[in-house]
Amino acid sequence: MKKQKFYILLVVLLVTGLLATACGTTATVEPVVEEEAVPTEEEAAPVEEEEVVEEPVIEPVTFQVFYPVAVDAPIAAILNGYIEDFQAEYPHITVEPVFSGGYGDVQTAIQTTIDGGGEPPALGVMLATALYDLINADYIAPLDGYIGSMEGGDAYVADFLPAFLANSYYDDQLWSIPFQRSAVVMYYNADMFADAGLELPTNGESWGEAAQALTVQEGDATNWGLQFPSGWPYWLFQPLAIGGGQNILEDDCTVVFDDPAVIGAVNFYIDLSAKYNAMPAGVQAVWATATTDFASGMTAMIVHSSGSLTGILAQSDFEVGVMALPGKEDGTYSSVPGGGNFYIMKGAPQEQQDAAWKFVEFISQPEYVADYSINTGYIANRASAYDSEAMLAYTAETPQALAARDALQYAGAELATQNLGQVRGIFHDYLQRAYNGEMSAADAMAAAQVEADAALVDFCP
Amino acid sequence: MSAQTTRKQFKPLPYILILPTAAFVALFTAWPVLLSIYQSFFRQRMNIARFREPTYIGLDNYIELFTDPYFIQVIKNTLTYVLGTVPISIVLGFLFALLVNRKVRGIGLFRLAFFHPMVLPMVSAATIWLFLFTPDYGLFNTALRFLGYSGPENWTGNPHLALLSVVIVAVWKNSGYYMVFYLAGLQNLPVDVYEAAALDGANGWQTLWKITFPLLRRTTVFIAIVAFIDSFRTVDHIFVLTSGGPSRSSTVLLFELWLERFEFQDIGISAAITVIFVIVLLAFTITNFITSERKEV
Repeated sequence: MKKQKFYILLVVLLVTGLLATACGTTATVEPVVEEEAVPTEEEAAPVEEEEVVEEPVIEPVTFQVFYPVAVDAPIAAILNGYIEDFQAEYPHITVEPVFSGGYGDVQTAIQTTIDGGGEPPALGVMLATALYDLINADYIAPLDGYIGSMEGGDAYVADFLPAFLANSYYDDQLWSIPFQRSAVVMYYNADMFADAGLELPTNGESWGEAAQALTVQEGDATNWGLQFPSGWPYWLFQPLAIGGGQNILEDDCTVVFDDPAVIGAVNFYIDLSAKYNAMPAGVQAVWATATTDFASGMTAMIVHSSGSLTGILAQSDFEVGVMALPGKEDGTYSSVPGGGNFYIMKGAPQEQQDAAWKFVEFISQPEYVADYSINTGYIANRASAYDSEAMLAYTAETPQALAARDALQYAGAELATQNLGQVRGIFHDYLQRAYNGEMSAADAMAAAQVEADAALVDFCP
Repeated sequence: MSAQTTRKQFKPLPYILILPTAAFVALFTAWPVLLSIYQSFFRQRMNIARFREPTYIGLDNYIELFTDPYFIQVIKNTLTYVLGTVPISIVLGFLFALLVNRKVRGIGLFRLAFFHPMVLPMVSAATIWLFLFTPDYGLFNTALRFLGYSGPENWTGNPHLALLSVVIVAVWKNSGYYMVFYLAGLQNLPVDVYEAAALDGANGWQTLWKITFPLLRRTTVFIAIVAFIDSFRTVDHIFVLTSGGPSRSSTVLLFELWLERFEFQDIGISAAITVIFVIVLLAFTITNFITSERKEV
């Protein structure tokens, strides 16, 4: 009998223990909110006079924003600063920034939360190209309602650089607001060009020749004229296709891989090593090392993200030039945008979504856009940001930032299709086969076209 | 009488004590596995509006996988990866353990040198290797050239070398870890057998193969299980080094599972891969368990 009592006691203890832990987790959440609410009330005091009249009851709202860190810049510190400013202006709103890894991790975190039946964060920064997957999965909410009710909403949208809005529309609705955006550009060592008496390239051929002339053998090692990463190749390849006259996509249901112009672009990449000997042969998994090689003067040109500008300028002791990639025909250039946009999650409570929109509106004010660009190296995504004082001072000192923006006028749309992961995977597969000489460019692109069309059938009836 | 004994023998305490563990295993291991088995019979794709709700399709997911030449390539890659990492890291771990199991001044430093890759997170290790693998001036290539190697240097971009390069990183990372187990085993070996062997005139090689290695059999079985399972579930370095490429040549099963689930958002196929995964690991663990237990008897 005594033993039985002991067991009963043990079970009771276990159960209460479990309950306590379960309650513990919920209990800990509340004090945090209260704690954060205290300074808000204090700061609310001066504003109260105006606000009380218009909206007598303001319920405090807390929402989360999931964001990635994809560049070499103190993104967390910068964002926290903006959030403080925002909360000072909107005392009833508390923003909880959640650093969630890279772009893929943010999307995965949000997906698993929603699929698991949880409540997603109200706001997420995800790739601009994730649009169709996010719409199909019913994760995100359109933003037209907010734009419509905004004073000067159309002017607000029109102020964004058009290349950055290319992946924001679907079904005549606006689904995302550009945030941290970049573009593919070519960095060149202007000193090396001057020393060699070379003109900047104006077409594919003169580009290859310049790269060839700037390739120097130094003992065992070669200082290549050009580094063109292709470990994750579609993005950097796209300017070659666009510069050749044919982008690799037409719309969300149509990819163009087997066009002669695209095949020509693949062959141009291969020629850079095979014909001009200006680059190592095969797939170049050198994304991480290319910027260092360039900044240390080992390589004369690299094709890379405009987002690397700040890092390159900090490391290099020569004149760094930035330009759009030379196109096939003389005098043509090309680029392609990249980077992440703000998406508002459908599954979050309405008041959180509304608060998240306030934050998006706040953070896309020209002075914040300019500040973000200056501190991170991302391209300022609104035209008016370039007129701000801080930006004028910055671009006077760093004209390369303007060159990165100007490259966008030659940009085509970034690869964003239905079933993007699979279509992009197929393209990568065959593009790398061609780069590595396992298949001819024509065969590889033809096979990629067939497989990609098949992968799109279910999506595009 | 006998009924009474059985009743007396039923002791609830052990069951109560394992209850929390059992609950966690049921919730976080058994339930997801059962769910995956169930989901693998359905077509469900989160990024196609009309396939968002699951439809029953029987074994179609499995048929699709095993008729896809690309998935067959993934299985081949996985086998190559497992066979490339497991035996080599175990042998190296054993050799390192023999090397550092001596009383030499500064031996701690050598042990540390062999063990330190284990302490690094896989992503950091892979990032370091990304730089070591750099063509031309990368340390790995420089060292190889010094040894007379003149082959291709583009390790992570060459379809024939990419898988090998992730194997190299895994071996580098794990050998030191297995060394520690062997070292612990070596230091627990009885001294008298060695004395007896010395008296009988056994040479070093005989002692190693006839005494040390057999006595460490349990350690080897344990390490083999750990190494095998680890080789299936570690893919962090593939993300950093090759992203599964070029042209999918370094894509292994778990990386493929991640692609299907999170890049392609195909829940049915990814559930089927999970089931295949669990079956392979279960089969291995059970076989190992049965054979090692039987030998003990």
